[in-house]
Amino acid sequence: MITENKTYLDPRKVYLPITDEDARVASLQVAEEDEVKVGQIIAKKYRGKEAIPVIATVSGKVLGVEQRIDRFGKVIDHVIIENDRKNTLEAFDTFDGEVPTQIIRNQLLRLGIHQVSLDGLYTDIRFDQPIEHLMVDAIYTNEPFISLDYDCIVKEAEEITDGILLLAKACKAKTVTLLVDKFMNQEALDEIGKAISDTIIELEVINSKKMNGVDYKIARKLINRRPSINLLDDGIMFTTVFVARSAYQVIRQGLPLTTRKVALTGDAFVTNALYDVRIGTLFEYLVEDLGGYTDEEALSCHIGNFLSGNQVESDAFSIAAHIDSIDVSRYRDVEEDVCIKCGDCNDICPTDILPQNIMDAELRSVNERIVELHTDDCIECGLCTYVCPSKINVLEWVRRAKRRVG
Amino acid sequence: MNFTTTKPPVKYNQQRSLKRALNLNIALIVLAIASVILRALTPLAEDAAMTNLDIAFKAFLMMAVGVIVSVMVEVFYAISEGTIQKFEVYKRWIDPINTGLLIALLLPSTTPIYALVISVIVGVYAGKLVFGGYGYYIFNPVLVAVLFAHLTFGGQMDITGTPLLLMKEAVFGSSVELSLQSLLIGNYTAVAIGSTSVLLLFAVFVYLCVTKVIDLRISITYLLTIFLVSLGIGFINFTTQGMLIYTLVNMITGLTMFGAVFLVSESVSSPTSRETKIAYAVIVGILVMLIRVLSAEPEGVVFAILFGNLLTPFMNRTVKRSQTKGLIKTVVISIVAIVIVSGAIGFIVQSRIIENLNETAALFGGIL
Repeated sequence: MITENKTYLDPRKVYLPITDEDARVASLQVAEEDEVKVGQIIAKKYRGKEAIPVIATVSGKVLGVEQRIDRFGKVIDHVIIENDRKNTLEAFDTFDGEVPTQIIRNQLLRLGIHQVSLDGLYTDIRFDQPIEHLMVDAIYTNEPFISLDYDCIVKEAEEITDGILLLAKACKAKTVTLLVDKFMNQEALDEIGKAISDTIIELEVINSKKMNGVDYKIARKLINRRPSINLLDDGIMFTTVFVARSAYQVIRQGLPLTTRKVALTGDAFVTNALYDVRIGTLFEYLVEDLGGYTDEEALSCHIGNFLSGNQVESDAFSIAAHIDSIDVSRYRDVEEDVCIKCGDCNDICPTDILPQNIMDAELRSVNERIVELHTDDCIECGLCTYVCPSKINVLEWVRRAKRRVG
Repeated sequence: MNFTTTKPPVKYNQQRSLKRALNLNIALIVLAIASVILRALTPLAEDAAMTNLDIAFKAFLMMAVGVIVSVMVEVFYAISEGTIQKFEVYKRWIDPINTGLLIALLLPSTTPIYALVISVIVGVYAGKLVFGGYGYYIFNPVLVAVLFAHLTFGGQMDITGTPLLLMKEAVFGSSVELSLQSLLIGNYTAVAIGSTSVLLLFAVFVYLCVTKVIDLRISITYLLTIFLVSLGIGFINFTTQGMLIYTLVNMITGLTMFGAVFLVSESVSSPTSRETKIAYAVIVGILVMLIRVLSAEPEGVVFAILFGNLLTPFMNRTVKRSQTKGLIKTVVISIVAIVIVSGAIGFIVQSRIIENLNETAALFGGIL
């Protein structure tokens, strides 16, 4: 349960990763001791031929490049900038009214909206493939395990709506779907309903407590076939309202993406809070700000979605744009029972594959059977493990099977 | 600060295997006690050799012996394997108790105690432990034990005059008198202790469905198949009223309901995916009716479900994906199969086909 909204916008230093999972090559655009402004390009990372700018999120002096771990536990280069707390902003154009598609695309890329939501089915903000459908998720990651008051949606419903429409314009989407939760507070639902009336945005009210892969099912309904692992390949862009709000700021106000909302949850903290935090802030600073850990013994740190995120070994990573939720809890060793072959995983799977049978084939190491069972269609949503009454990590078995057959 | 890591997902829903086993255990104990009490209360024919209390006590004794022997076999096996420490936790005791109780409930109260003891040993050892224990067996150990008892000690536990046997004779024209009330409260010559009041079994059925111990799809399809097949047989052989009575007797007596609650949807030995679950239930339901009508046995549930268990690994191997198309195909094929089988059994019972064949064959010199 999130009880507080907090801000942490002025860290002493920021640590900005210059490469990511997709773009592994980067060229540095600044040198040590350089003064940078907010929004200035400090590096360019390359995914194939495409150059993606990495922007500074504070103004100040570049202290150098250091190798640190990122949220996946991989060691990559981070640019360190010392914050001078002046927040000098590089001047960017603002646009009113109707904005041409190409300008929106360029501005979004230039001002840092590229890889914002990463967990589960969310896609990058990329326009190199034709996109027909835009899905925007208003439900925070990890609902219903953490409950949010959706205060930001109540306050900024108009901005979010405008941002969604800008995104729709940018990807030339034919349909726009906004996913809201049945259990959101009434005020947020009312505000959203009021803001999106008379637009092309359609509202899809879902029950987040059911946990049945409903976002995948909506995507499936949109394109009338089974989507692939990356929704972009099927012409669907799936992102969050946070991206929509940032898109509004980028286009209408000329503000680069420098902050993001991160939910800090778990029983290792005294209070759980929704943070507005500067991108690049070290996680340690946030923990300090929140009052430290209650108990230093055997904690585990989970980043992102509880079902499909990842765990890290150390808290020395910095907050990147794609970290939306961090949970630090006491480590619980779950004892696996024997598989009772109830078939619950087979029933819940949104892609209609049979995790129990795949696990069985993997245990017997029958490659042909693994291929026959369409193992490569698995989107790693983790619902099979979630419903397993024996607490077997079915997903891990399916992953292993996937790796075995390549 | 360093963290301990696990592989995600890290959240689970409220369902637990242990909870399911415990719910089954509670349901079984309630059913066992209730069936003993019902047996003691119901009036019996005057010429019976044993009084009601005797029968009730015998039933209670059988359950106690079944449980004790089943637990002892598992414990001795664990000692011989050197894994006795796993019995330190309570959850290891639940499954042996369930098995023992179910075996006792599936045997008639005339069973000698030594026959029960030997059956339980065979069922638990040969049916469960040699495969690796709970979760790994391919045949339901309960049914293995009951089948063994029927094959080996069939003479000592002969049952005559169950409603189903009476119905079998009724096809050939003899008249049967049954009262609906006594059928509902379980006051008839039963093929097993567990075949008690259908109302009680239905209450247990609802409880186990709510707690998700049993798969509703398997149980409902199984009941529906028996209903449709018996309706078809009754339609061919009786008048409308006779058809309804025939169907009713098939549904509420014998082990039909007991099978639906405890045996058919036993998760370890039944298939895992949607389509195969339905196909499995249909096959078992058809076999139940085949054995009931065509063989000399008074009841077919045990044999039918064991045959279904035999097919389970094969059925699991045939599916590649659960698709709506496959589901519709399964349902259509099942309905066609049910219609054909019920017609075929109905005519075979009536001997019309054989007569016709004989008449035709007479033209060729009376081969048949």
